[in-house]
Amino acid sequence: MIEKLLLKLRKRDEISREEERALVDTIAEVEDVPAKQTVIKRGEALNRSVLLIDGLMCRYKDLRNGRRQITALHVAGDFLDLHGFTLKHLDHDVMSLSPSRVAYASHERLTRLTESYPHLTRLLWFSTNLDAAIHREWELSLGQRSGPAKAAHLICELYTRLEIVGLVREHDFELPLNQTELGECLGLTVVHTNRVLKELRERGLVQFRGGTVSIHDVDALKNFAGFDPTYLYLASYSR
Amino acid sequence: MPRFFFHIHNGHGDTPDDVGTDLPDQSAARNLAIDSIRSMVSEDARRGVIDLAARIDVEDGAENVLVGVEFTEAFQLHLPDRQEPYRP
Repeated sequence: MIEKLLLKLRKRDEISREEERALVDTIAEVEDVPAKQTVIKRGEALNRSVLLIDGLMCRYKDLRNGRRQITALHVAGDFLDLHGFTLKHLDHDVMSLSPSRVAYASHERLTRLTESYPHLTRLLWFSTNLDAAIHREWELSLGQRSGPAKAAHLICELYTRLEIVGLVREHDFELPLNQTELGECLGLTVVHTNRVLKELRERGLVQFRGGTVSIHDVDALKNFAGFDPTYLYLASYSR
Repeated sequence: MPRFFFHIHNGHGDTPDDVGTDLPDQSAARNLAIDSIRSMVSEDARRGVIDLAARIDVEDGAENVLVGVEFTEAFQLHLPDRQEPYRP
């Protein structure tokens, strides 16, 4: 059940069998969530954290005029709100983009885990630090990159993150969101997003169609996006 | 909600919309077209080009044009009173 989480963490450090068991014991109840459902509402009191087992989810914030910014995408193996363990409520909502499966880790069990397994505590801390690094890269995209470059960059990021958890085939991966939602990640309208995707397609870099991304030329796409995966902290260290 | 298709037409080629977007009504579709034109022209402007010789045709699923929006309709233009291009 937590294989994807283990793949993500073991990419960055070693995890013993005992630690693996401790993680498994921390995750209880599993639940299937339909697409387009807000699973955590901004401001609500939290007593558990949510691990994404399967599917695609996002964090988002809305303006009063209805404009939405998706501030993060989450793939299988990501904790959606590990930061909620210390914050106790969130300043943003969390929504499923595709039908998803989640598992819950109560804050009570997480407290016990952190008290008994300091190394796992540091790895969970690492994963919230990684979330913050990804946020900084998105800020750079939103503030400074052109539309086509930020779309290309996001695709390179997802390709890298999904490859770690075994969800890339050849150079294709499922990205079950629509163009409006992709635009909400990029700060672009759906129409502008369509123009951006057309440019990437015509440059022979990548195609996004029917929820599938097909990368035609990975190196050229990374070069076009100015993608440097250092911010994803891919090396394994004793942390 | 009805589905609207936003096709962009300009001098260098068209960007057809084969996915469409669900919106409450034509007025929302027109607002999205205006919003999108402003967003695309802003991005082009950062690259040093402002090309308003384009339009968005909003169609229903049966290829009927419901709303046509010229890029110029999205802006109030204030240009200097001279013919030659401004050179800083």
